[in-house]
Amino acid sequence: MNRRTSQRLTLVMLVLASLTVLTLDYHGEAKRAINHLRTASIDVLSPVQRGISAFVHPVGDVFAGALHYGSLETQNEKLRDEIGATRRELAQSINERSAADQVLGLASLPFVSGIPSIPAEVIADASSNFEYTMEIDRGTSDGVGPGMPVIADSGSSGGLIGVVNSASSHDAIVLLITDARARVDVELSSGSTWVASGEGHGEPLSLSEPSGSSSEVHTGNSVYTSGLGGGTYPAGIPIGAVSAVRSSAGGFSQDVLVRPFVNLDDLQYVSVLEWLQPA
Amino acid sequence: MTATNWARLAIVVCVGLIIQVAILDEIVIFGAHPDIMILIVAAAGIVAGPSRGAIVGFVAGLIADLFVVTPYGLGALCFVVVGFAVGLVRSISSEQEIDAPKTTLCIVAAAIGTLLYALLGSLIGQTGMFKAAPAAIIVVALGACVLSYPVLRVVKWALTGSVRSRSTYAVPRGGSAAG
Repeated sequence: MNRRTSQRLTLVMLVLASLTVLTLDYHGEAKRAINHLRTASIDVLSPVQRGISAFVHPVGDVFAGALHYGSLETQNEKLRDEIGATRRELAQSINERSAADQVLGLASLPFVSGIPSIPAEVIADASSNFEYTMEIDRGTSDGVGPGMPVIADSGSSGGLIGVVNSASSHDAIVLLITDARARVDVELSSGSTWVASGEGHGEPLSLSEPSGSSSEVHTGNSVYTSGLGGGTYPAGIPIGAVSAVRSSAGGFSQDVLVRPFVNLDDLQYVSVLEWLQPA
Repeated sequence: MTATNWARLAIVVCVGLIIQVAILDEIVIFGAHPDIMILIVAAAGIVAGPSRGAIVGFVAGLIADLFVVTPYGLGALCFVVVGFAVGLVRSISSEQEIDAPKTTLCIVAAAIGTLLYALLGSLIGQTGMFKAAPAAIIVVALGACVLSYPVLRVVKWALTGSVRSRSTYAVPRGGSAAG
């Protein structure tokens, strides 16, 4: 066998082996075995990952800061204005402050009341450029399991950020709502139900209109989980607000975009809701 | 290739994986991060030829696939093609006495490999991969500009025991370079 034939044979065999593995990943038993292998690998590597990440996190922040300098400057200006306004309001009356605190407290509580939650720290971002996931430092030994919704608070607002995709004993991978594979049954503040899907990093979520729906949607409408779709998510968790509504060709349907309440780029702590889809 | 070469290469792949998940995954630019694993595979293709490049690609791909949620085997399939293609290009250019710059080859391979990954992912029904491809290709290529030279040196050390530059890819003792 000459050299070129041998090379081609090696290539064909390895491509076939890869395709076999890929096919096996779609089958029940083999998929389970692969998932076990994946979680075991994450368990093995995560202590090293955590140790190194503790040193490296600031480096990543420097990169992110340098790249988003313009937006940070704008954000800073906005925050300064907000602080100024807040200070003026606080000076007006202690009673008003107390009332504001109560309102803020009430606003942030309802969607988690009654559902136990597990706080977790984000230890790593996705290891692939084609998925939007994050790794958290809680796993099955802490009660975290696949299918559990994950929420976060980004200062002024909180809401759903994703769902646990897989969990090893001490870590879990969260599939973010911006990932194209994420699907969330949602309800608008107007009462209509839709399905939200991810559109990638930094992009708003896209709502697909249920068949036969003729509901009106307006920019600024709040979006919550509906609890439909087999109860994957409990009802009433805030997700975001409608940022754009466009009529598609012919005007028979609408393209609705939703900007998530929580900034997914800068999360350090999240909360896993101990909620499992009803059997 | 001796058992020592394979052992050294295994260490390089494992260290590469740790660098990827613990350091490079933290450097997110426009939603993407540099990818060292694809560079290791490309470097293996350049140093050891198409067949061994493909074998290294298969193993490295299976290992890298353990840490992502995309279907298992997708990375392996992509890396096999990258390792083989880079090795073949290097082999042909050596035969025709064209000295293709190895670092440039690594950078181009990383960019094309990333595109191939998105393409294969889309073909098997992974939504949103094509949309993320432009940013990923740019960031991976930029990362490759910085990482390809040290990766080539380390892979060369693993496969030949030497880090000296040579114009052609390594010819293992007692065998063909192309495997």
